[in-house]
Amino acid sequence: MLPAIEVRHVWKQFLIRHNRADSLKERFIGLFNQRYRERCEPFWALRDISFTVEHGEALGLIGPNGSGKSTLLRLIARTLYPTKGEIIVRGRVAPMIELGVGFHHELTGQENIYLNASLYGLTRREIDRVYHDIVEFSELGEFIDVPVKNYSTGMYARLGFSIAVHLDPDILLVDEVLAVGDERFQNKCLEKMLELRKQGKTIVFISHIAEIVQRLCDRACLLMQGRMVELGEVSKIIELYRSAAAPRVLTP
Amino acid sequence: MSTIETQPSLFQYRELLKNLVIKDLKVKYRNSFLGFLWSLLNPLMMIIVYSVVLRYILRVQIENFPLFLIIGILPWNLFSGTAIAATEAITGNANLIKKIAFPREVLPLATVLFHVAQFLLALLVFFPALAFLGAPWTPAIALYPLVLLLQVVFTGGVALFLSAIAVAYRDIKYLTEIALMILFWMTPVVYHFSMVPERVRWLFELNPMTAYITAYHDMLYWGRWPDAQMVLLGSLWAVLALGVGSWVFRRRQRLFTEDL
Repeated sequence: MLPAIEVRHVWKQFLIRHNRADSLKERFIGLFNQRYRERCEPFWALRDISFTVEHGEALGLIGPNGSGKSTLLRLIARTLYPTKGEIIVRGRVAPMIELGVGFHHELTGQENIYLNASLYGLTRREIDRVYHDIVEFSELGEFIDVPVKNYSTGMYARLGFSIAVHLDPDILLVDEVLAVGDERFQNKCLEKMLELRKQGKTIVFISHIAEIVQRLCDRACLLMQGRMVELGEVSKIIELYRSAAAPRVLTP
Repeated sequence: MSTIETQPSLFQYRELLKNLVIKDLKVKYRNSFLGFLWSLLNPLMMIIVYSVVLRYILRVQIENFPLFLIIGILPWNLFSGTAIAATEAITGNANLIKKIAFPREVLPLATVLFHVAQFLLALLVFFPALAFLGAPWTPAIALYPLVLLLQVVFTGGVALFLSAIAVAYRDIKYLTEIALMILFWMTPVVYHFSMVPERVRWLFELNPMTAYITAYHDMLYWGRWPDAQMVLLGSLWAVLALGVGSWVFRRRQRLFTEDL
């Protein structure tokens, strides 16, 4: 069986746009006046990243802030495109990069479930099938008929998480979303992730919390300044990360 | 082994398209009982104001002027409303674009369909008015859906183009508003095409909206078959707009996430 995710020599460049001209007016002025012209500074967020993730495998991405973890996750989620190289993803992806994205405040929880799930490409019938599981897992009860603008942050996130895990994904992309809700719900989320893993789902996971990575992931990948430092056994990578990153963070 | 296997198709996301249109309708009309009436007020006021100003002050010689106006103004509002809303179809949904990978065309297309739905509702209400004002019922009306479809396809192309361009140029909305104002007076909505001086008629014929509006007038005001040349012109504009619109959209959409 072909791997779930193949990342092949992926480079990602962002243009940091100084003095950004995002209107015709500014472009026009820029023609005559050097001072108002836009300047672009290239910045390589990822350099030559290659790895594969097999079906049913859980990979942890570890690295300090700005190391390119989130960029990599977004490339796999296809909201960003690589500048060079290619990424092949086989299966339905459920990105849990931020919860509750695409909720509309005026709509009720129920209406948002249908709208949100269709944003991930589910058909009406598929949503009908998982609707009750989503409501039950979210523990929202009667609040499901209330507009989400009246939800608390926790309720909002619970609904978001519940939808994401019920999309019947083959691949889950998780960006530290477990830090939502109260501790009980956090544990419930973690249990759900472990359960999904047992069901053979592929998971790519970003977290700063070593224990969770250790519990959830088979392998881990250490990223620093856009480069892949090492890919291997989780405990080894965590150790490497601590020795490599910590002193740099702590010393002024 | 290509990336096609993971590239979501528009057809697969038909549910999303439907849900986005329903969402817009719900959000617009839920919290106001009068919501729908408000959306009728605008064309109604336009019809009254133009009737008074053009007929009694400027003395335009068009028989049954209110009927003539209704026929042209409703489809014009469909076009102009969609065009303005399209400039915010992508930029107004930055959060969705950045976080979720769905086919981006869905957003401007939902804008188009939302306005079409509103147009059809308005048409339903103004229908008795048409009858009351003595619109001629002839078999020519059978072609109304076809001309409307052509106009919607044309509008769709314009919407794709504007929504994509607006990401790089945020002031395109103001430019669109100005362009629409010029275009409105260059479209035979409040006057006959035949009133346009012969010398500049070619200029008005180049305006895509002229083709559609003239056809509507032919069918519902004059009670005759629409001019074949105008229908042909309207078809060409529809195909051209959709072609150019989707081409520009496809070229630019990869950078939406970074430019928003």
